[in-house]
Amino acid sequence: MLLEMDSITKTYGSVTANRDVSFNLRKGEVHALIGENGAGKTTLMRILYGMESPTSGHIKIEGKEVSFNDPTDAISHKIGMVHQHFMLFPAFSIAENIVIGREPKKGGFFNRKKAIEETIKLSQQYNIPVDPKQKVADCSLGMQQRVEILKVLYQGAEVIILDEPTGVLTPLEVKELLVSIKQLAAQGKSFIIISHKLSEIMEVSDRITVLRDGVVTGTVNAAETNEEQLSKMMVGRELVKLERSKLQTGKSVLTVNELFVKGDKSKPLLDHVSFSVNEGEIVGIAGISGNGQSELLQAISGLMAIDQGTITLQDQNVTGASVRKIRDSGLAHIPEDRYLWGVSKEATVSDNGIMGHLSSVSNNGILRSKRITSLVQSWVDTFGIKTGSLHTKAQYLSGGNLQKLIVAREIAQQSPFLIAAEPTRGVDVGAMEIIHGELLKRRDEKAAILLVSSELTEIMKLSDRILVMYEGKIVGELDAATATEEQISLLMAGGKAVG
Amino acid sequence: MDRLTDTLKALIQPLLAIVVGLIIGAIAILIVGGDIVETYTELWRGAFGSFYFTMNTFARATPIILVGLGVALAFRAGFFNMGSEGQMVLGALSAALTALYIPGPGFVKMIAAILAGMIAAGLWSALAGWLDSRFGMNLLITTLLLNYIATLFTGYMVTYPFKDRTGSALQAQTEMIDSSVMFTKLFKGMTVHSGFIIAIVLTILLHLYIKYTSKGYEIRMMGGNPLFASYGGVNRGKLMVLSMFASGAFAGLAGASEVLGTSYRFLDGSLVSANFAWSGIMATLLANSHPIGTAVTSVLLAALQTGGMGMERNTDVPSEISSIIQAVLILFISARITISFIKRKKAGAKDGSAT
Repeated sequence: MLLEMDSITKTYGSVTANRDVSFNLRKGEVHALIGENGAGKTTLMRILYGMESPTSGHIKIEGKEVSFNDPTDAISHKIGMVHQHFMLFPAFSIAENIVIGREPKKGGFFNRKKAIEETIKLSQQYNIPVDPKQKVADCSLGMQQRVEILKVLYQGAEVIILDEPTGVLTPLEVKELLVSIKQLAAQGKSFIIISHKLSEIMEVSDRITVLRDGVVTGTVNAAETNEEQLSKMMVGRELVKLERSKLQTGKSVLTVNELFVKGDKSKPLLDHVSFSVNEGEIVGIAGISGNGQSELLQAISGLMAIDQGTITLQDQNVTGASVRKIRDSGLAHIPEDRYLWGVSKEATVSDNGIMGHLSSVSNNGILRSKRITSLVQSWVDTFGIKTGSLHTKAQYLSGGNLQKLIVAREIAQQSPFLIAAEPTRGVDVGAMEIIHGELLKRRDEKAAILLVSSELTEIMKLSDRILVMYEGKIVGELDAATATEEQISLLMAGGKAVG
Repeated sequence: MDRLTDTLKALIQPLLAIVVGLIIGAIAILIVGGDIVETYTELWRGAFGSFYFTMNTFARATPIILVGLGVALAFRAGFFNMGSEGQMVLGALSAALTALYIPGPGFVKMIAAILAGMIAAGLWSALAGWLDSRFGMNLLITTLLLNYIATLFTGYMVTYPFKDRTGSALQAQTEMIDSSVMFTKLFKGMTVHSGFIIAIVLTILLHLYIKYTSKGYEIRMMGGNPLFASYGGVNRGKLMVLSMFASGAFAGLAGASEVLGTSYRFLDGSLVSANFAWSGIMATLLANSHPIGTAVTSVLLAALQTGGMGMERNTDVPSEISSIIQAVLILFISARITISFIKRKKAGAKDGSAT
């Protein structure tokens, strides 16, 4: 066995990221590591790459026990990692990026000619074509990934960890990457691939290890499994449904018809999306991040221009209307990225709280501080937001408390339509319960809610109907009462609906 | 309590910068062989040594405060208006021409001149805002370039069509405005005029406006995180054009107040060479766009300039020492901007904040 990770446990305080995880890798093997967000894949690989040390457990390379203090140790043991976000210097050439840290020298100076020669040699040896003199800034993402892989090979890696390698690539680039991986494996390199795209995993891997909640739920040979079995292993838990009243839908509140957004990539960002959300109903949109959900929400809330299609909110055509007009027509919006859209970090809790509430807290354009204080203070009390005072800057609040502030602010709009995007991302269990409870309460109050989440459990728990998005399209609509997680995961990964 | 500490905080940085500037200035004084205590005493005397000198400093501070307030307003919304100089001269010329050629009683002419100055400068500034929001032309660059157009255009206007043919043919200037249109001097025989009162009142009003009105709130949020403001329904393009208009109008008022209160005519190059606009921008940057801080810093910068002249009159140390101190202030500003830029880069610019 080339590499063994034996009974690795990693805890952060009371949270266990990996429990008793064992993982091994043979020479020349492609071994995929899959699991839902937060299953512990990344933690395990950070341990292997020397970025974290395990609470307990051992790592053995060719039977000898090793311990890594930092990535340099891991690299010296021929382990290389290509991160999800590339770590290249855009202003430097490909050759310079590849040799960085181990530059060929001549008389104490950087030998650029040698660096280019080395790059060409490497590129031919492994059949990964690059132009050594090209600047990284001018390279496509697929090319940058090749550079990352060559860099790792230049450092002498025998084991290469790829973290979500296909997330940013075009389909053609994905194909090329998979071919390269197979060729390198045939030459004796070993790969660990972190991914949740089941079809790619099935195509390229020899073995697959599934993690769930920090525990290995199985290691299987790719030849002996299928996508459905893998989905089940990834998800595999009983769902506890929240108490909820019987669905009583009323008239349609939001109707999206044939929405199309071209974007600047070859594939459209939104590809003829149509659906509606009715009174008293939660419609969940499932999908892996980056399949058009963000664009859909931005289009509905007026933050992104659309190329074709219509959006109707409360019987008003709001296609192409301003954000303010759409909000006035009855939209409240819990944004998916709280720091990007949801708050101004430099501003105080009360300033962040009154966004969208200006008309109720001002008189003739003058802000009424008493009204502001009583409004925001009431949210702080009911949601249990931990903050020094209402004048504390938002940046000093924890993510969960900030999220509670945003949820409170948007729910207080009492709008007929509510977008809840990743409403519980990065919040603790307590905050999650409060937020879920509030969403269900709004549903009982006849609001129409569009829920977008990359957490399948959250979608399953809250939704009445589930739409699945894949590559800008709605690829499936399921009744939440009868849908299974396997069905949804399969659709999310671009597979066909079953059953 | 919060409000007081807020204002104090806005003042700490400019004061600290000025202290460091004085220390470095002291080194320069030593190098040219001057006496530090004597030089700085003269600097102080030249700026605040007597009632006359203090009022002289206030007179000089007037246009700097007004420009600074305008820049502060735009900066708070996250818009970098670097075009104060052009806006100011355009405002000054418009005010002068209105005062000269509009018929009517003095008071009416005065109001008309002020409004003309503010509107002309405001439109000039709003043009840059519109170009940015409509065509994505970078505001910083357009405002800088529009400066040249404005100063050259006003120069042309007073060299040819509106040149004063009555007096010295050497000066490119308009005729002198009627005494009924002039701002009243606050004290007999001193340079400070009612423009200073206007500047102080506007400082307080702008502070209250930004802090306690809905529009002021939108401006602050737009400056803090433009994506958050857009998400909340603030229209960036509209806010940009409006706040750029207001920002330019402040610069135009500065120009008008110089014409109506000090020079009584538009003289080509006089506002540019006095460096009012850039001093105003410097004051704003030092005070982190806080209106009250901007006004106080403007007075300090004006004092540095008037004091420098006094120092030169009474010692062998050249007034360039003032320039050295100002250069240190600029270093302070650039360092702070660079640091916040690096911090943002490190944070991966997770939000869309502008500063």
